[in-house]
Amino acid sequence: MSATAPAAGRPPLQARSVFRRRLVNTAITSSAWLAAAIGIFVMGWIVYTVFTRGIGAWNLAFFTQLPPVGNDPGGGLANCIIGTLVITFGAAIVGLPLGFFGAIYLSEFGRAGRVATGIRAVTNIVLGVPSIIAGMFAYALLVLPRHHFSGFSASVALAFIMLPVMTRTAEDILNLVPNELRESALAMGAPRWKATLGVVVKAARGGLITGAILAVVRVAGETAPLLFTALSSQYWMGGLKGYFGGPTPNLTKTIFDLSQQPYSHLVQLAWGGALLIIVAVLGVNVVTRLLFQRGKEW
Amino acid sequence: MVDIMDRIDPGADNAVESERPLPPRLEVTPTGHDSATEFDALPSKLSVRDLDFFYGKQQALFDNHLEVKEHRVTAIIGPSGCGKSTHLRCYNRIYELYRDQKATGEVMLDGRNILASGTDLLSLRRRVGMIFQKPSPFPMTVFDNIAYGLRMHFKLSRSELSERVEDALKRGALWEEVKDKLKEPGLALSGGQQQRLCIARAIAAEPELILMDEPCSAIDPVGTAKIEELVSELKSSYTIALVTHNMQQAARVSDYTAFFFEGRIIEFGATSQIFENPAQKQTEDYITGRFG
Ligand SMILES: Nc1ncnc2c1ncn2[C@@H]1O[C@H](COP(=O)(O)OP(=O)(O)O)[C@@H](O)[C@H]1O
Ligand SMILES: [Mg+2]
Repeated sequence: MSATAPAAGRPPLQARSVFRRRLVNTAITSSAWLAAAIGIFVMGWIVYTVFTRGIGAWNLAFFTQLPPVGNDPGGGLANCIIGTLVITFGAAIVGLPLGFFGAIYLSEFGRAGRVATGIRAVTNIVLGVPSIIAGMFAYALLVLPRHHFSGFSASVALAFIMLPVMTRTAEDILNLVPNELRESALAMGAPRWKATLGVVVKAARGGLITGAILAVVRVAGETAPLLFTALSSQYWMGGLKGYFGGPTPNLTKTIFDLSQQPYSHLVQLAWGGALLIIVAVLGVNVVTRLLFQRGKEW
Repeated sequence: MVDIMDRIDPGADNAVESERPLPPRLEVTPTGHDSATEFDALPSKLSVRDLDFFYGKQQALFDNHLEVKEHRVTAIIGPSGCGKSTHLRCYNRIYELYRDQKATGEVMLDGRNILASGTDLLSLRRRVGMIFQKPSPFPMTVFDNIAYGLRMHFKLSRSELSERVEDALKRGALWEEVKDKLKEPGLALSGGQQQRLCIARAIAAEPELILMDEPCSAIDPVGTAKIEELVSELKSSYTIALVTHNMQQAARVSDYTAFFFEGRIIEFGATSQIFENPAQKQTEDYITGRFG
């Protein structure tokens, strides 16, 4: 009657080799560690290089002055910092709301319908389009017909890159909100828009803000789309008139231009700009993730 | 007096664990509202006639007929997947959130067919509150949770609003526990408290009928006891339809019970009759745990 008695008539079981199992385990674990270590090492190397070469460029002039004329000493990237901020901000106020409402349509209204499925497919394709195509698109749309480069056309190009990123992220986050919450709001007699904005979006707000910030950061460091649109400039942006009407200074294109110069102090200025971008992107990423870790209650 | 608990197999909810020890015996007083003559005399808050329900092409309810009597608790019992939730979700048309779901037939609320196309869903849902299986506080403070329906449906001054929030929390048997936490998020409460918050939130909008879909299945025993007590109190002011897979619960709190099986209502009657003297063999098999 013992439960452990071997079943009658069956051959005894042959145990697998413990040694082999351990060997395979060790091999796979250590390759995973090695791959991770190489990745982290390369990343660390990049940050280290940029930091050691760029930090020397950081002084008051770097943040307050125009780039030097010719090979004059001194100077800074203040106009580029402002230009990049304005171009990115312009992209955000177009791209984020469109992406947000697109995501609301997809997750709350369109769902599995034909229109929504089509939009999702297009979004996925645009997501994979190289960013330089976005630049050419804005070039054809805004620069060619008006015969001049502009910061605004750069914002449009960046918004075009930002839109699918925001749509996809926001839809994923809204889909995490349990249906029971939607039903509860509607069961209280709330109209559909009120249930969506007041309860569903509110429940997902942490994730949505994180997604939005990361979408902005994602495009802030783009260079290719700016080649056709903002170009670059050695002068101050010149207010909204400059933003809409002419080449607009920006960090990434200027970094490229300066790095091609034969003078070491100009090259160092480029490293300083690179460092600024890395610090800003890294900083915003870390702060956002720390602030909005919550919001995953379900 | 016959103890109707004697007839209920405690293992019936969970047939796999048929040999677990018996729980302590429950004291149950039959509610006393259940004679056949009383049933006929009582007004119906809601009458269901010829109700069919479809998930796409798949039919889930077949020709349901049911009377939900005013100021009584009507329990809906039956095995998992028999259509209890589907049936209840017709009472406030919440299923319409999903495009492929459809109900046909009549659900008469105070004599008006709510399935008719002219029905205003927002005022229907103000009159018919609903509590779901999983507590679902809104992502806002305890106060704002309760005020949600009030602000939406009524014009109230600030002081009237706080008065009504307090009143709803008291009627939801939650006031003592949360009166110092009104500004804290609803999600910070315990599971049982969250469910009573949802009940208070529904009550605040002054509903006439309250639907509860297995409101205790995600709640611990102490929380469950509180909610059951609350249900018994609430029926003096409201009409309640309660879905439960817990037959002791149905026996404890309800006046009338409908037994569902495979989308059909097999038997409907006074709770004591259903549990003591079921007319149908299937009902008897289910409540005594001899199912399947
Ligand atoms: N969203 C849905 N889509 C398709 N079928 C469903 C859906 N929800 C429930 N059903 C089916 O309808 C039947 C009744 O389900 P339900 O009302 O949830 O049962 P209960 O609440 O009694 O457990 C089941 O057979 C279930 O599979
Ligand atoms: Mg159910």
